[in-house]
Amino acid sequence: MTNRQQQPSRRQMLAVGGAAALIGMVRPARAGRQLTVADPGGPYSPGYRKAFYDPFEQETGIRIVDVAREAYPTAQFKAMVQTGSYIWDVCTLTNFDRDILAAQELLAPIDLAATGDPGLMPGGVTPLWLGVDVYATVLAYRTDHFPAGGPQSWADVWDVARFPGRRALHKSPIDTLEQALMADGVPAPQLYPLDVDRAFRSLDRIKPHVDVWWTGGAQSTQLLQSGEVDLCAMWNARAQAAIDGGAPARIVWHQGLYDIEGWAIPKGCPHIDMARQFVAFCAAAKRQARFTGKLSYGPTNLRAYADIPPARAAILPTAPANLAEMAGANGDWWRTHRAAVTERFNSWLLG
Amino acid sequence: MTVLAATGAGRGLRRRLSRTPLWGAAPGVAFLAVFFLFPVLRLLLLSVQDADGGFSLGAYARAFSTTVYLHVLAITFAIAAETTLISLLAGLPLAYWLTHLPPRRRGPVLLLVMLPFWTSALVKTFAWLIILGRNGVLNRLLLAAGLIDHPLGLLHGRGGVMVGMVQAMLPLAVLTMLPVMLAIDRRLNDAARTLGASSVQAFWRVFFHLALPGLAAAGLLVFISALGYFITPALLGGPHDTMLAQLIITEVQEMMDWNFGGALAVLMVAAALLTCWLYERAFGIASVAGGAALPDPRRPLRRLGLVLLGVTADALSAAGGGIAARLGPRLSGWALPAFCLPVLAFLSVPTMVMLPMGFTSSSFLDFPPPGFGLSWFRMVLASPLWRDALLRSLAVAAATGIVATVTGALAAYAVARQGGRWGGALFALFLAPLAIPRIVVAFGLFTLFARLHLVGTSAGLAIGHAVLALPMVFVTVLATFKGYDWHLDQAAATLGADRRRVLVLITAPLVRSGLAAAFLFAFITSFDELTVAIFVSGGIVTTLPRQMWDDMILQLNPTLAAVSAIVFVIVAAALLVAELLRRAE
Repeated sequence: MTNRQQQPSRRQMLAVGGAAALIGMVRPARAGRQLTVADPGGPYSPGYRKAFYDPFEQETGIRIVDVAREAYPTAQFKAMVQTGSYIWDVCTLTNFDRDILAAQELLAPIDLAATGDPGLMPGGVTPLWLGVDVYATVLAYRTDHFPAGGPQSWADVWDVARFPGRRALHKSPIDTLEQALMADGVPAPQLYPLDVDRAFRSLDRIKPHVDVWWTGGAQSTQLLQSGEVDLCAMWNARAQAAIDGGAPARIVWHQGLYDIEGWAIPKGCPHIDMARQFVAFCAAAKRQARFTGKLSYGPTNLRAYADIPPARAAILPTAPANLAEMAGANGDWWRTHRAAVTERFNSWLLG
Repeated sequence: MTVLAATGAGRGLRRRLSRTPLWGAAPGVAFLAVFFLFPVLRLLLLSVQDADGGFSLGAYARAFSTTVYLHVLAITFAIAAETTLISLLAGLPLAYWLTHLPPRRRGPVLLLVMLPFWTSALVKTFAWLIILGRNGVLNRLLLAAGLIDHPLGLLHGRGGVMVGMVQAMLPLAVLTMLPVMLAIDRRLNDAARTLGASSVQAFWRVFFHLALPGLAAAGLLVFISALGYFITPALLGGPHDTMLAQLIITEVQEMMDWNFGGALAVLMVAAALLTCWLYERAFGIASVAGGAALPDPRRPLRRLGLVLLGVTADALSAAGGGIAARLGPRLSGWALPAFCLPVLAFLSVPTMVMLPMGFTSSSFLDFPPPGFGLSWFRMVLASPLWRDALLRSLAVAAATGIVATVTGALAAYAVARQGGRWGGALFALFLAPLAIPRIVVAFGLFTLFARLHLVGTSAGLAIGHAVLALPMVFVTVLATFKGYDWHLDQAAATLGADRRRVLVLITAPLVRSGLAAAFLFAFITSFDELTVAIFVSGGIVTTLPRQMWDDMILQLNPTLAAVSAIVFVIVAAALLVAELLRRAE
């Protein structure tokens, strides 16, 4: 990919515009003061609208148009900045994706330092990004399969004699290697740098007992909800969806790994001031508390828990009791080792 | 090439070109050059660059430094080959049976064959999860019937992958073979019988031989389409069922390593083109390409192909003869429907399971639904998001169908009429979008569209979908032309019609069943397309599959089933109206 910002010629534009108008399919022009934000879609959109979009519109008069971004928006993000074709102004990124894009200098500073909120959790804000919600990779099990109490740690999951049952793990080295190390006795604070050889030795032991390697979040919900598996390493909100739907299942927060998702602005964004204003708006505790009513993700502003009922807080990753059980995933380590470890993981899986 | 001529070459050349039917391919060639070759080649160029844009073979060095990528490539090919074989073996009797049904009954049965088309690939895959799971419909039935003691592990292995892939590909195979088979003169069969051939012999010696171009086309279409699949193997397969397309997507989207992703894409494209070449040598797919001569039977590969076909035909013929002899003449007449009806049931089961789940009162996809209600339909119909997505999908699919059918059919006409060296080149060009993984096309288009400000427009979606649909249209129409009698064109020309009038008044009406099938393929390709939609829609103009995908990544609820039911009703109504209009004619 070249970095030249080649603009289409007038004639090209006229031809394309004419052709598009001819079949009546041209996109309506953007009008007035409005900001296009890309959230993960699905249940996020109504949750964020209630917490952020509607209050922001009321306070500033700037209309928020929300679109669903891709599951992995990095490629789109990069192409957008390189071609100068900004289809949205603000986008949610995991801190993984944030680091990849920051390394390629594709992000604009959010200039939040002045208004930074003291309630934000450690790692919840950087010069290029504001964390908004926290999700966690946890263990979930079917309570109907383990009526006398299920596995409470990854070591228990690896113990197929004491906890017989069908198991599912994520078909990805990220989180899975950490789980293998914790199962082998590595304490969570000493996980990084990962001892990759030891992790694969540990994985060798569980491999014959893994019935499903899942690839998508909804798939993991389906596995747990239908009883296809009895134990599953999965994202907390995916497990919660099965529980909310009536599945007899429980989440184990102990030895979970959490990760943060938040707003970033593409470099060269044409509405940078409005975009920054919007990002700063989303740091406030009271506003973050409002999305937790529908979404089972934790706010990054821990003061939000003052406004969250205790019953609801119990299922959120950043509630003090849950957060204390977990460790943060280390994006730095993965950024440098991901390609090689993923290759090894794929090879191991086929072997 | 006609473009070249127009910009001024010698007069002689211009005169020669103005007479050749090759001009028909010009719109398609121009379209593919701009919206396919240019973006894809630019993307593939990345594979020989390093992250800073300098020349480097590092990506290839990495791809070959371990066996894992070649291993995955081999798995990808094995899955595609198995899918093709099963689809052809199941599709041939089904298509043959369809040619024997009276047209009045053929219509409704064809609708059943096409049923899987109208259910999104995602929804079908989830339907199989619900049917084949450990606590799934099938296992519960078998347990209740006392046939098994423990639930069978039907999923998460190659068997599950085959169920999902064959169900998705079988309609494509049947609908590609059918126009060719319908064009075969039935009296040839009678003639063979008069000359003493048994019905089994007449089938293999006469009908099968004449249907070969259709079979060859079906095999190639299924194989190449299957190469790019990744969702079905990921959800229904085990740890060994990793497809290369999945790894390319991971490199491009998650790792942001476009150089390495480009190298993997080149690996896949090279292997796919090599397969096309071998296939052509062995089975003479170019014989579909009209005037092109049949491959020389003395070539070793061609000989191998003929021997393979011969052995298969003999084996099947012997088996067929044996079965027919054992059953006796009365029962053997039932053998074909006895095989075809279960196949039809297999094709429609996921839809039949999915439809009632739209009416569930539960918030999960459970079968049978614990209770019934209309809440999911209300939710979908009240949501502007779903309504817009549905309308946009229909509009984009219609636009795609028109653009692809017109340009693709003209190109097929040109190749069928002219053939020769140019015919072979055009054949390769028009098939190329199939051989390139969709993710590569989608990503290339995205970078091009970003410059043309076509990202997030319906026009951009229709253009992208037309690129993907052109091969389907081209092969289908070309196969139809194979059995076409060009003397009719000559007769019309003798009577004073110019080339355009012949095309419009004689050729087009005579191949209309092929054209209709081609339009349908193009329409469906667009209607169920996800990869290009993900990249090109920018989340702003959402199509139905894109909306379903977004919905499914984060949550899994009966919305998908309700949407499927709505689509089903709309499509069924449209097809019914079309059928009634045809009968009124």
